Amino acid sequence: MKRSRSVGASSPLNGIGKQDGDPRRKRKLAEISQALNVTPVDVAVLRRMAISEGGLLTDEIRCKVWPRLLNVPTDILPEKSEEVERENNKDYNQVLLDVQRSLRRFPPGMPDEQREGLQEELIDIILRVLGRNTQLHYYQGYHDIVVTFLLVLGERLATALVEKLSTHHLRDFMDPTMDNTKHILNYLMPIIERVNPEVHDFMQQAEVGTIFALSWLITWFGHVLSDFRHVVRLYDFFLACHPLMPIYFAAVIVQYREDEVLDCECDMASVHHLLSQIPQDLPYETLISRAGDLFVQFPPSELAREAAQQYSQQMAASTFKDFDLTPEQQRPDTVLRRRRREKQALKGAAAGAMVATAQPTTARRFVRLAVMGLTVALGAAALTLVNTALEWAPKLDLHLFP
Amino acid sequence: MAKQYDVLFRLLLLGDSGVGKTCLLCRFTDNEFHPSHISTIGVDFKMKTLEIDGIKVRIQIWDTAGQERYQTITKQYYRRAQGIFLVYDITSERSFQHIMKWASDVDEYAPDNIQRILIGNKSDEEEKRQVATGQGNKLAKDYGMDFFETSASTNYNITESFTRLAEQVLAANKKDLDLLRASVTDELNLAALEEEEGITDGAAASQKGCWC
Repeated sequence: MKRSRSVGASSPLNGIGKQDGDPRRKRKLAEISQALNVTPVDVAVLRRMAISEGGLLTDEIRCKVWPRLLNVPTDILPEKSEEVERENNKDYNQVLLDVQRSLRRFPPGMPDEQREGLQEELIDIILRVLGRNTQLHYYQGYHDIVVTFLLVLGERLATALVEKLSTHHLRDFMDPTMDNTKHILNYLMPIIERVNPEVHDFMQQAEVGTIFALSWLITWFGHVLSDFRHVVRLYDFFLACHPLMPIYFAAVIVQYREDEVLDCECDMASVHHLLSQIPQDLPYETLISRAGDLFVQFPPSELAREAAQQYSQQMAASTFKDFDLTPEQQRPDTVLRRRRREKQALKGAAAGAMVATAQPTTARRFVRLAVMGLTVALGAAALTLVNTALEWAPKLDLHLFP
Repeated sequence: MAKQYDVLFRLLLLGDSGVGKTCLLCRFTDNEFHPSHISTIGVDFKMKTLEIDGIKVRIQIWDTAGQERYQTITKQYYRRAQGIFLVYDITSERSFQHIMKWASDVDEYAPDNIQRILIGNKSDEEEKRQVATGQGNKLAKDYGMDFFETSASTNYNITESFTRLAEQVLAANKKDLDLLRASVTDELNLAALEEEEGITDGAAASQKGCWC
């Protein structure tokens, strides 16, 4: 099959609000360009740019800045990507199945031949990264992440960045099992509880769980958003932040839909269905800024203990309403859950008081967010260790946490 | 408020990645077919109401991701199901062999009186067939299941198979259903009399959601 060259910077997918006359946009372009041109490159400024309104503006800029955010040197990349062995590859069949079903992720109107070329490249990137990192395991949805990088950066750069991302931000999703992925989802309810106890209690009562947010988390929303500009805007944000930021963003979306949720019938299926269908017209900039605020107010370390508790309670509370006609309210786990809700309502009130006192200014927020992001790039190995061993591991004894 | 249905069942689609679970569902509920549907990540469901023996049966059909690693997530949903479709692809021997694994997981995690049905999908792709109809029949017989070869693409046997499983679930829960009907009819006799017009079934006045 004929390979098309990368769409990369010349793609028709470039940025948002392209009025060059906009003075704020002009200023931002200048700031980014300056940060890229100083030696050493000012990564802190680039992070701030990726987070703040409009993100990185164009795919051309993304090609230059995304590698910096992930600390991938672009000058030593091999000119030619190594060949990929497809036969006898344990992941090939699954990757092929998913890539063949990813038509929707390519720009509408792209000629079939070009799209098919890109799909071949997509398969190669995935198999190449997995082949070089045998500790990583393919998951359905990984292709949604990789296609985003491919469309913005082209095959060569995308391979390098995806490899870095897979060993850092996405590492936990690529374990042999999904246990750690499930555990990361456990951060969602504690965040929602702090933002909106009423919605939290409603969702607990409905026993909706957090699986509605699974594809959001592991594809960085690439699987569920149809407008590519929104996807790359979010990727700017997530690349500049802590790996748990997609969970904060998920919480912010739930909060944004508060009225719909509370109007919904309080049962698992209805709430799951409502939340799974993500609105396409979300006010992204507002939500990004709120997610950033939440992260600063309730950093993962503060939520770790509760997330671990969620895990054990989930196990205990997973007795489902079946075909029985027993009055629900008498079941012991319902009673337990009610007690827990009462207890949590108290805690929620305390958290509410904290929100009131912990409103950072916008500037401070970006600095703090950027610092968090920086930790990821610089001390990635250390961070992974800390996160997986202490914060994210559900199995550890709870008294380990202060 | 007029009641839309009498009973609610949950059915679950299981089977390897790419056998056509989502396509079966879309054909059944929306009569649509997209050959290159997107991969299912996690779980979601669609609903449809059938009428069986004068009972309005609302079925909630849960669709699942097929990749093995997702099973730790999808098996949480087995317990709430009353019926399960075990789906393979007649053009994939491998997906057929995996039915045994799916079936044993169902035995382990689903309720005891779960109803199961075996589906060999993509029956329109005869030239690529790897699993003979007889093999499907035999496996279904061994497991005591009904068996259908289907095609979401040509709409072959879709309504038939979904209706069959719904009928089986209804029959399996008939005792509960009769009990419920009796008690509800007693309690709501007056209301039922008042609302008589338009209602053909005693259970129609039962409260929505009371046995899901």
